[in-house]
Amino acid sequence: MNGVLEASTHKSGRQIMATFGIPWTQNKYRPRHLDDIAGNKEPLISFRKWISSWEKGIPKKKAVLLYGPAGTGKTVTAEAASRDLNFDLVEMNASDNRTTASIGKIVGTAAEQSSLLGKKRLILLDEVDGIDSRADRGAVEAIISAIKKTKWPIVLTANDPWNPRLAPLRNTCLMIQFKKLGLRDSIPYLKKMCEKESLEIDDRALKFLVERNEGDMRSIINDLQTLSTGKKTISYDDVTLLGWRDQKSNIFEVLGNVFKAKTCSWARKAIELSEVNYEMLFEWIYENAPTQLSDPRDRAKALQALAKADLFLKRIRQTQNWRLLSYALDFMTAGVAMSREHTKPGWVKMRFPERIKLRAKARREKALRTSIGRKIGAKCHLSTGRSIQYFIPYIKQIFSNKPRDSKSIVDWLELDEEMIEYLKQ
Amino acid sequence: MWAEKYRPRLLNDLKNQKEIVEQLKRFVKTKSMPHCLFAGPPGTGKTTAALCLAHELFGERYMDAYMELNASDARGIDVVRTTVKEFARISTISKVPFKLLVLDEADNMTSDAQHALRRTMERYTETCRFILSCNYSGKIIEPIQSRCALFRFSPISKDDISSYLGEIAKNEEITLGPNALEAIVSFSEGDMRRAINALQSASSLGKKIDEKSVYKIIGKVTHEDIKEILALTLKNEFIEARNKLRTVLIEYGISGQEIIKELHSEIFRIELPEKKRVKIAEAIGEVDFRLAQGADEEVQLSSLLAQIASEDMQK
Repeated sequence: MNGVLEASTHKSGRQIMATFGIPWTQNKYRPRHLDDIAGNKEPLISFRKWISSWEKGIPKKKAVLLYGPAGTGKTVTAEAASRDLNFDLVEMNASDNRTTASIGKIVGTAAEQSSLLGKKRLILLDEVDGIDSRADRGAVEAIISAIKKTKWPIVLTANDPWNPRLAPLRNTCLMIQFKKLGLRDSIPYLKKMCEKESLEIDDRALKFLVERNEGDMRSIINDLQTLSTGKKTISYDDVTLLGWRDQKSNIFEVLGNVFKAKTCSWARKAIELSEVNYEMLFEWIYENAPTQLSDPRDRAKALQALAKADLFLKRIRQTQNWRLLSYALDFMTAGVAMSREHTKPGWVKMRFPERIKLRAKARREKALRTSIGRKIGAKCHLSTGRSIQYFIPYIKQIFSNKPRDSKSIVDWLELDEEMIEYLKQ
Repeated sequence: MWAEKYRPRLLNDLKNQKEIVEQLKRFVKTKSMPHCLFAGPPGTGKTTAALCLAHELFGERYMDAYMELNASDARGIDVVRTTVKEFARISTISKVPFKLLVLDEADNMTSDAQHALRRTMERYTETCRFILSCNYSGKIIEPIQSRCALFRFSPISKDDISSYLGEIAKNEEITLGPNALEAIVSFSEGDMRRAINALQSASSLGKKIDEKSVYKIIGKVTHEDIKEILALTLKNEFIEARNKLRTVLIEYGISGQEIIKELHSEIFRIELPEKKRVKIAEAIGEVDFRLAQGADEEVQLSSLLAQIASEDMQK
């Protein structure tokens, strides 16, 4: 499926990996021991406590549900634990067919039988939130009954444990939450990895990589591997360009269709031609529309069309009604093309959509503002939103004018390094 | 923050709001009170009044019988309901026969949530009194209003603000030039928190605060940038205007809604043909609505700017 042949025809970022073999995240840099896992200190302590309680007999909670976003180390925790404790790992994941019968057969027998060689077992049920309610009918019940009967520890993982179907599991299992990795946990880990690979990467680039992937270690490491092919130094620009480099030549042709089209169908062709996804295409058009259609009247119409496209895209995201996509695409292609009335033809340079680079930063800062706002709110009897509005602008002033005075505010609000950095800007 | 450090602890220390204070003192004396609705603009002492009231009713250990909930932060009425239930259930060993629950920003609740709240208020009325605080009492549903004693908090007078700032300045050992004080007072628009925050920020520039340092602070915390965005737009420098907008949104973290609000008032201040103002206001309203639906702030706002520029050209 992800063979070399396919990877060489579609040269987008992630697939390139296939040309040089196994992803680091699956082998070379997959943590082997519990001590190797980055971040999530507290969840790992709870997990160790639970797993070591098996040495004193069967504990009250025989199963644990590790839940949290992708790439935070849930599955790896189970694998590493089995290695550290020398248990046999019996694994079942979302790609297996999880009917009552198969769960009963695999998990049930594994759970009840003692193993032949006297080796202990650890049973891993990966991605339990992927259980399909119709195809895997009775799967949850089968898991519950396996947990009741089991002689061995059972580890379940899920991204979203709040699915109503999983309610019975939540009561039966010890719940341990894994969180996205922050900069503090991920950066040192990644730096060590780069050292081993003798890769040079500047801090800004690494930080951007973490932010863009929102702390998902798997995709961060995948990106690093992709970037490192045939290169020993990675710059900030390399990182920001990852994922669209190969589509660069194509995008200008596509944009030409949008900005120069005389008819709607000509403009709409852009969608078929485009190798970037429609969200990226939107960004390209939005970035360049004001300069390509430089007459204020045309520009107003074009941006109005884009604003409407944006509104449709938002509605699609909210309602998951993908039929609406074609209207959004109409507005962003034909709608923009038909705005040209007064602008004189001529060549104007296209620009890379700058705000894509800013977006990761924006997301991080928003999260920071919210957590600062929450701290202020708790002290000043205000909601988070109003704390941000009423206090942060003033606090920023104090931080930039008189760093010495800010110390008492830092102590009072118990701000951490990242928050202080933000307020100092 | 000084705004918190200098928050009055006793009802008598409250600035302005004399009638309200008298009434609240009667509640303390008789150890009985109805549900209350505190309405008024920000920084006029609503939360402070509630805190003082709790302090005087329950004494030093008032935290046992007092609780604050914020309607904007509490996710949904269910959270409010269970929290109230937990809070009201446990009785205190106090001479006062009820507990006090303050629900802040109650006007941010949907009317459905308010109806549910009304039932909760009725159910626990024996053991718990509510103080709802809001900016606009009009946004509170009739049935709740009719169950509450309404207290209207008015903007704090210039004299009261300047005398209070004077006290703080003395205590913090800073000197205030006469014009500096005036500048802060007029900037505060009757909002004590805003006044104190401005004073504290200005003091970070030096122990002697003059008019200039006040204006420096005011310029930074008010939305000078938004005026600049509008000015660039009207000069037909759209790309610069959009870049500035991007900076304001992303780097300064000012929300789209705030920018909209500022643009809206600015539209009626700057020089424009009267009819255009109305047209632009309509466009602003539309964008405001879209932002509420969750549309992209930059895309929507820049389309608005483009529209303003083209309206201006057609005069």
